[in-house]
Amino acid sequence: MTTTAGGTGAALLEVPEVGPSAPAGGPPTSGRRIPTTITGDKGALACLVFLAIVVLMAVAAPLITKLSGWGPYQFDSAAINSDLGGVPHGSLGGISGSHWFGVEPQNGRDLFARIVYGARVSITISLSATLLTGILGVVLGMLAGFYRGWVDQVISRLMDFLMAFPALIFMIAILSSLPSGNRPVLLVVVISVFGWPYLARVIRGQTMTLANREFVEAARASGAKDTQVVFREILPNLRGSIVVMTTLAIPGFIGTEAGLSFLGVGVSPPTASWGQMIASSVSWYSVDPMFFAIPGAFLFLTVLSLTVLGDKIRTLIDQGEAA
Amino acid sequence: MLVGLVATAALTLSACGGGTSGTSGQSAGPDAKAGQGGTLQVLANAAFSHLDPARGFDGGVNNFYRLIYRTLTTQGAAPGAEGTKIVPDLATDTGKPSDGGKTWTFTLKDGVFFETGAPITSADVKWGVERAWDPEIGIGSPYAKQLIEAPASYQGPFKSGDLATIATPDAKTIVFHLKKAFADFGSVVAQNTFTPVPKGQGAGNQLDSKPISSGPYKLADYKPGASLKLVRNDKWDKKTDDVRTANPDAFQWTFGLDPATIDERMLAGQGTDADAIAGTVQAATVARMQTPQLKQRTMTGINGCTTYMGLNTTKKPLDNVKVRQAINLAVNKQTVRDADGGSALAEIGNTIQPPTITGRVDYDPYPSPDNKGDIEGARKLLTEAGLANGFTMTLDTRAQPKMQAMAVAIQQALEPLKVTVKINTIDTATYYEVIGTTSQQHDAAITGWCPDWPSGATFLPPLFDGRNITPKGNTNLSQLNDPGVNAKIDEIAKLTDVNAANAAYGELDKQIMALAPVVPLLYEKVLMLVGSNIGGAYLHDGFSGGIDLVSVGLKDAGK
Repeated sequence: MTTTAGGTGAALLEVPEVGPSAPAGGPPTSGRRIPTTITGDKGALACLVFLAIVVLMAVAAPLITKLSGWGPYQFDSAAINSDLGGVPHGSLGGISGSHWFGVEPQNGRDLFARIVYGARVSITISLSATLLTGILGVVLGMLAGFYRGWVDQVISRLMDFLMAFPALIFMIAILSSLPSGNRPVLLVVVISVFGWPYLARVIRGQTMTLANREFVEAARASGAKDTQVVFREILPNLRGSIVVMTTLAIPGFIGTEAGLSFLGVGVSPPTASWGQMIASSVSWYSVDPMFFAIPGAFLFLTVLSLTVLGDKIRTLIDQGEAA
Repeated sequence: MLVGLVATAALTLSACGGGTSGTSGQSAGPDAKAGQGGTLQVLANAAFSHLDPARGFDGGVNNFYRLIYRTLTTQGAAPGAEGTKIVPDLATDTGKPSDGGKTWTFTLKDGVFFETGAPITSADVKWGVERAWDPEIGIGSPYAKQLIEAPASYQGPFKSGDLATIATPDAKTIVFHLKKAFADFGSVVAQNTFTPVPKGQGAGNQLDSKPISSGPYKLADYKPGASLKLVRNDKWDKKTDDVRTANPDAFQWTFGLDPATIDERMLAGQGTDADAIAGTVQAATVARMQTPQLKQRTMTGINGCTTYMGLNTTKKPLDNVKVRQAINLAVNKQTVRDADGGSALAEIGNTIQPPTITGRVDYDPYPSPDNKGDIEGARKLLTEAGLANGFTMTLDTRAQPKMQAMAVAIQQALEPLKVTVKINTIDTATYYEVIGTTSQQHDAAITGWCPDWPSGATFLPPLFDGRNITPKGNTNLSQLNDPGVNAKIDEIAKLTDVNAANAAYGELDKQIMALAPVVPLLYEKVLMLVGSNIGGAYLHDGFSGGIDLVSVGLKDAGK
C-alpha cells in the first residue's frame, strides 16, 4: 500500500517538462484564443465544468453543507449499525435523502459534507503550493539564467540536490517528526521546497536562451537596465511556459497532498481530506465500497481534469508559438 | 515498574490479541474437544516484545510464556473465574505464610526438569527472581522488586551477587522475606519473574534469543519479527502439571502480517489456516462475520482492560472537580464505542475497574440516557464553575486510526459546551513515554490499563496513588494526589483478607470517581475467528482475553 502511494506521489511531483518547441519564445500567445478553443473542445469543456464545480464546492462549503443539513464533523449514530462494527445502514454506504453520498462507517459523518470540505483542503493546499513553487521557481530560475556565473552555480547545485533527493521519503520523515502545529501550512512548505526546482530548471534554460536573443540585445543597446530587461523583455516571454508548468503542477500537488494524508502525515483529523478518506476506506472496501468509490472518484476526476486541461493549454501555446 | 505496566496497556490498546472472558456464549466449533498432535498456527501482526520472562510483561507474552515457562504458581486453565484462580504450578501449594504474612515458603514438586534435562531446584527459582533487580533485565513485572525485601543498592545476581532475603534451605524449598506483609503473595509468584532460570544463565540478551524452557514446549526456530516455532519439550512431565494439557505437537507463529490480511485469511480458512488462531478482527470485518458458518468459528468476550481518558488535575481548569465532572457527564460514550468498532468490539465503561476484577461494583456515577452524554447537566456544572463560555483543552492521542477516532468523538461530544478540544497526535512508539512524563503531558490523554492479576490492587493504586507521581514513567496520569484516596489505599493494603481487600477496592473505585480524575470510556472486547479445525479454545480472563494457549489444540491432527 505504501509503495503504491509513494510511487504515485513521486511520479505526480515530477511534472513533465515543456516540450522542446516551447522555449522558442515566439510572439506572446493571444489571451483570448485559448479560452475560445477550450470551450469549443467537448472534453476540455467537461473538465472545465467539473473543476468549476469542485472550486465552487470549496469556496461555498459552509453554505452547501447548510443546505444539505449535515456538517463535516457532525456524528450521526443513527445512520450506522453499531452491532456490525459501525457499517452504514442501508445499501450503497447509507446513501439517502439526508446523506446524499452516504456516511462514513463507525461515526456516521456525512460523506457529502466531507467531500465538500475535503475539496477545500485539496484546492487550498495545491493552489498555495503552486503559488509558492511558482514564485520560487520563476525568481530563482531567472536569477540563475540571467546572471549566470556563481549565482547560477549555487542555484543549479541546489536544484540538482533537491531533485536527486528521494523527495517523498523525506517529506514523510519531515512531516512525521514535526509537531502537529499548523498542518496545511507545513504541507504547503514541504511540498514547495521539493517542487520548485522542476519549474526553475525550465525557466533557467529559457531565460538563458532569451537573454541572447536579438530583441534583448537591442534593449540593452538602447540603454535598458537589468530590471527593465527582466520585467519587460524576458518575463513576458516566459508567460507561456509558466502557465503550462503551473497548470500541470496543480494535479501533482493535489495527488501529493492526498498521498501524504493517505500515509497519515497530511492534515490531522478531524479535518476532512480526500486522501485521508481513501486511507480509512481501505479496510472497508468489501463491506462499504462506496466509502472508497466516492472520494476516489473525486480525486481521480479532479486530477484528470487538471491534467487534460493543462495538456490542452500546452498544445495551444505550442501551436501559437509555432504559428 | 511502570514500564511493564505501561507496556501492558499499550499492547491491549493496539488490540494485538489479548484474551477474553469466558462469559461469552461460545459456539460448538472452537469449544469442541481438542485431540493430541498436529501443528497449531498463530497469525499475528505484532511480534513478541521479549522472550526473556524477566523482560516481557503484557497480555500477549504472558499467555505465550505459559507454553515454555513454569512459575511457582499460575492462573487456572478454564473459562471464566476458574481461569483467574491461582493454582500451584512448580510449587506444591500456593505458599505458606508465616511471620504475619511477611515470610512466604514454597516447596517445589518432584520430577520437574529444564529442557536441558537438569532438575529445577530452588536455587534456579531464586536465580530467576534475582534477575528482576538487574536494571537491564528486570524491565518486566515489577512486583518482585516492589514486595521482596532487598538492599537499595541490589542490582541483580550478575552485578551484586546473592540476595540474602530469598533463602533456599534445601533444593526443594524457597523462602521469600517481604518488605511488609502481603496477603496475596500467592498470586504474585505467578508473575513471569518467578520463572526458574538455571543458575548462572540468562545474562544480557541470552534468553531473548534462546529461552531455556521449563514448560511443555521449547523453542525450535526463531526469526525475530518473522516467525517462531515451538516443539515439544520431552523433559516436561505431564504428571507434574495439572494446568497445561499441551495438545498440539508444535506451535508455529507468523508475525508481521497486515491486520486486514489476517482477517481475510481467517475468513477464508483455507489450507493450514484451518489450524490457525489470530487476534481480534478489525471493525470492518465484523459485518462479514455474520453468517452461521463464521459465527460458529467466532469467539468473543471482554479483554479485562479499561480504556479511559485521564484528566490532568494539575492543569487549569481541570483542577476544578466540577469541570471534570462536567466532562464525565458530557462525553458521548456511544460514539466513542462506535469509533472503537461498535458494540461487537467494546462495552461501554462507567467504572474504573473492568468487570473481570474480583469485588468490582457496577455503578454509573455520571449517568446519561443511553450513555449519549448529558449536555444539560454538564452545562449546569460548567456554569457553576464559572466556565459557561467554555475553554480550550489539549487531548493527547496515539497516531493510530482507532485512537484518533475516539479522540474525535470526544471532541465532538464536548463541542456543544463550547469546550474546544485540540487533538495532539503523538507517535505510537513514544506515546506512553510522552504522556508518562509529567512535564510533557497535556490536559487529557486517552489510554488504557489492564490488571496484572484480577484484583483492584493492580488497578487503583498504580493509577491513583498520589505518592506514586514520578516525573518520568508516571502512571498516575490524572496526577491525582488526594489525601482521602491515599489514606484509603494504605488502609486496604493492610487488610490480610484478600476478599475483604477486593471488596474495599470496589468502594474505593466509587470514592475516586466522585473526584472524576478520569473518564472511563470502554471495556474493549476480543472478537476473533479461529480455524475450523481448532478445538479446546476458550478465552482466558487472565490474559487480556486471549485464547488460552496451554489448552487449545486441533480437533483432528491428521487433517
